[in-house]
Amino acid sequence: MLKFNKIYKQYDTPILGPINLEIEKDSFVSILGSSGAGKSTLLRLASNLIQPTSGSIEYLNNKKPNIGFVFQDPTLLPWRSVIDNVLLPTELTSKNVKLSKEKAFFWLSKVGLRGKENSLPNQLSGGQKMRVSIARAMAQDCSLLLMDEPFAALDEVSRNKLEDDLLDIWEKNKLTVLFVTHSVTEAVYLSQRVLVMSSSPGKILDDVIVTEKKSRDDSQNHEFFLKINQLTNILKKESDE
Amino acid sequence: MIKRYLSFLAPIFTFILLLCSWELIVYFKNIPKYILPAPTDIFSSILLNYEDLLLSTFITFRITLLAFFIASFLAIFIAVLFSQSKIIELSLYPIAVIFQVTPVVAIAPLILIWVGLDNAEYAILILAVIVAFFPVLANTNLGIRSVEKNLSELFSLYEATRFKRLFKLQLPYALPFILTGMKTSIGLALIGAVVAEFVAGSGTSTGLAWRIIEAGNRLDIPKLFAALILLVVLGIFLFLLMTLIEKLLLRRWDFDKN
Repeated sequence: MLKFNKIYKQYDTPILGPINLEIEKDSFVSILGSSGAGKSTLLRLASNLIQPTSGSIEYLNNKKPNIGFVFQDPTLLPWRSVIDNVLLPTELTSKNVKLSKEKAFFWLSKVGLRGKENSLPNQLSGGQKMRVSIARAMAQDCSLLLMDEPFAALDEVSRNKLEDDLLDIWEKNKLTVLFVTHSVTEAVYLSQRVLVMSSSPGKILDDVIVTEKKSRDDSQNHEFFLKINQLTNILKKESDE
Repeated sequence: MIKRYLSFLAPIFTFILLLCSWELIVYFKNIPKYILPAPTDIFSSILLNYEDLLLSTFITFRITLLAFFIASFLAIFIAVLFSQSKIIELSLYPIAVIFQVTPVVAIAPLILIWVGLDNAEYAILILAVIVAFFPVLANTNLGIRSVEKNLSELFSLYEATRFKRLFKLQLPYALPFILTGMKTSIGLALIGAVVAEFVAGSGTSTGLAWRIIEAGNRLDIPKLFAALILLVVLGIFLFLLMTLIEKLLLRRWDFDKN
């Protein structure tokens, strides 16, 4: 789906690199690392929002896919209703509004916001706003979903619910997800593959495949929690160094 | 509930108390009208001269509003130009600052000469525009620059044109800032109109400032106070009007909770 070839990114100091990485189509990959490891920079490079200082990014069939981006905050326009926020990308890209409106309604009901279409963002809870943000990305038929710590500001209950809904969306739609997070548990729970990044400059320190059955109940799934421990130890070792 | 009534009644009560004290001091101290007229004298003067005073209030109101609209339109337009090109901003901003820091009284005679003494009203309008212009420019510029980085990136992700970015993101985002600037600006437009009229003298204009000069020259201090009070009432009215417009327009804007 996406290939990073010898990517370096530098502002005043080197931020990232070298990054050599291939993200398979329809996979769910999490990027884990401490603050300043360049995780968000990697997502912005993947979305073409910023350009690498050197190296190149290749998309599948050399064609940039439809990209959805979910930021750490919901990035909703406060003066627009929920439905108008979901339709914003349609207006920006001048797509067929009628068709998109149907999709917008579909995705809003998918993320559990049926009946909230005409609400304003300030009438929604933090979790609901994030759901709008996800619906906005999905309503554009995105095939590559980039998520930058989207659930970091939410309470645990909302977070768990959104994680499950996200997994459901990913499983039912052909979708490649690149998910940045600080949380080891979240990374292991959601992904098929976890990339651990080191900082200054950001590099891929470890590439861990997750095949264990996912569960929130530790009494039922010992292996899942062993994987969490494995990743936590990698991160600890990196921060000690 | 009592607290709510109290917050409303306390300033009114204080104001009435102040007026009564003023009236009594003037009465018992026998202060002559040409030094300090009693509130009742001022009220009588308003009733006696209401035609003159209302006409002058209307003239000042008209010039203030016109100056306010021209200044706001120009300032928003120039701020939009700034947002489109750094070179334009670097070139024009110092000129805007020069206009802002130059006292209006100092340039009034020059403007008056340029537009001609027969067109004093135009000179007053130009001077009021100059005074009212900067707060809207500075605030609009700040508002457009304050657009959240993530929102800006969202527009970049969907390859929004400059036009769409301006009208769907930057200007709506800047609206609370623009309205704050306009709230300051409408008061300044009134001050500009009055100061300019003071400097321009009579000419063809007969706004409230001219009434104040005229009454002062004739030692008709009750009338001077009457014009002054109308000026204050006009200022408060304009401020409340802008506050109401701001409240109505910003019902949907709530950045903090987003």
